[in-house]
Amino acid sequence: MYLVANINVEICASKSCKLCTQYCPEANTIQYSETMGTDKGYKYGTAYIAVDRCKGCALCVWVCDTMAKNNAIKMTMIDQLPLAAVTDNIRYEEKTTVAVLSDPMIVIGN
Amino acid sequence: MSLDYVKFSGGFEKFMPKEYRDMVEHGPFGKKISVSQMGSFKEILEEHPMCAGCAMTLFIRLAIIAFPNPEDTITVGTAGCGRLAISQAAIPFVYGNYGDQNGVASGLSRGLRLRFGDKPKDVVVMAGDGGTADIGFQQVLHSWFRKERFTTIMLDNEVYGNTGGQESGMTNRGAVLKMAPLGKKFEKMDMLQMAKVAGCAYVATVVPNNPRRVESVIKKAVLIAREVGSTYIQAYTSCNIEYAIPTDKVMEDAKTVENDRYQFTEYVSDEAKQYLTERYGYKDYLPKAAAPAAAIPNKA
Repeated sequence: MYLVANINVEICASKSCKLCTQYCPEANTIQYSETMGTDKGYKYGTAYIAVDRCKGCALCVWVCDTMAKNNAIKMTMIDQLPLAAVTDNIRYEEKTTVAVLSDPMIVIGN
Repeated sequence: MSLDYVKFSGGFEKFMPKEYRDMVEHGPFGKKISVSQMGSFKEILEEHPMCAGCAMTLFIRLAIIAFPNPEDTITVGTAGCGRLAISQAAIPFVYGNYGDQNGVASGLSRGLRLRFGDKPKDVVVMAGDGGTADIGFQQVLHSWFRKERFTTIMLDNEVYGNTGGQESGMTNRGAVLKMAPLGKKFEKMDMLQMAKVAGCAYVATVVPNNPRRVESVIKKAVLIAREVGSTYIQAYTSCNIEYAIPTDKVMEDAKTVENDRYQFTEYVSDEAKQYLTERYGYKDYLPKAAAPAAAIPNKA
């Protein structure tokens, strides 16, 4: 198994910094959804990870902890993520994205 | 070389992979996008084999987002790590022999001007420190002296990262590397000064720990290269493998190096300032309002 980044929606959606989306070295990996936070009653949208693209460098953890002082991202073993976004389940809309979360082990393993 | 080349051929849409459909429908082609929108549109850089946590990858990602017209841009590269990612973007990429990237770009840039006239087609060279300052040095300098109108970006990781850690001209004096165990004996080459002497219209250093600055610098360099002359950007993009930087500390290292020896510098020629102001509405270079005359102290 291997580590991937995992964003705590409750903490992330309390601020609107979006810093991790700008510092991830991988393209199309940390996505931002305007609705996935507000739908749950939080103030802002939330960032989330396309775990099939994440290489596990943890650069976003440093950015979230040190630059944003948000502590919303933790590295987690991929088989311990209950639900996560994968590229096939991400939909692009006008100025935002939306993901249908699923068990990543089932989707990636297929 | 237009918006047409990313569209689907009739009847083929349903056979294209999801990533391609997303790029055509929600990519940056033909739109004005910025780094503040990252994460909410489909980027044209796709998956690539570069190392986890690589700062060069981050810089390339930001650079491709910053291109003013990605549908009218061609990138030119050479051997080195960077080409592994640059070639995985949905913009044409020319892979030259080692070191000839600025020669290739010179011909390409001239040919595009003959073919398309005044319609801007941007040529951007992205090569490593070895390709730019060592093996391609002669062609780089000559393209600058000839005032070829394209942008040269050096991805300066201060080592030959792809071949096991040999010192390059851009390695710092004293740096100990796997293939330079006694430490480098010479100073780092001052390519910025050489670019200015050779007559580049725009010269800047940048570190990818400030995405907005990277965006601004690349936009300016590409726009100036359309009409004024050669432009040069030197970007510090650490090699976390050869310099043993833990991947989660890559941005901390970038910050340290920026404060130490890679401070942001920008040189814009007077002609380029005038061009940016008149053609693209940049307000940074307008003459400042005259400051009130300093009071002359009364002589007692």
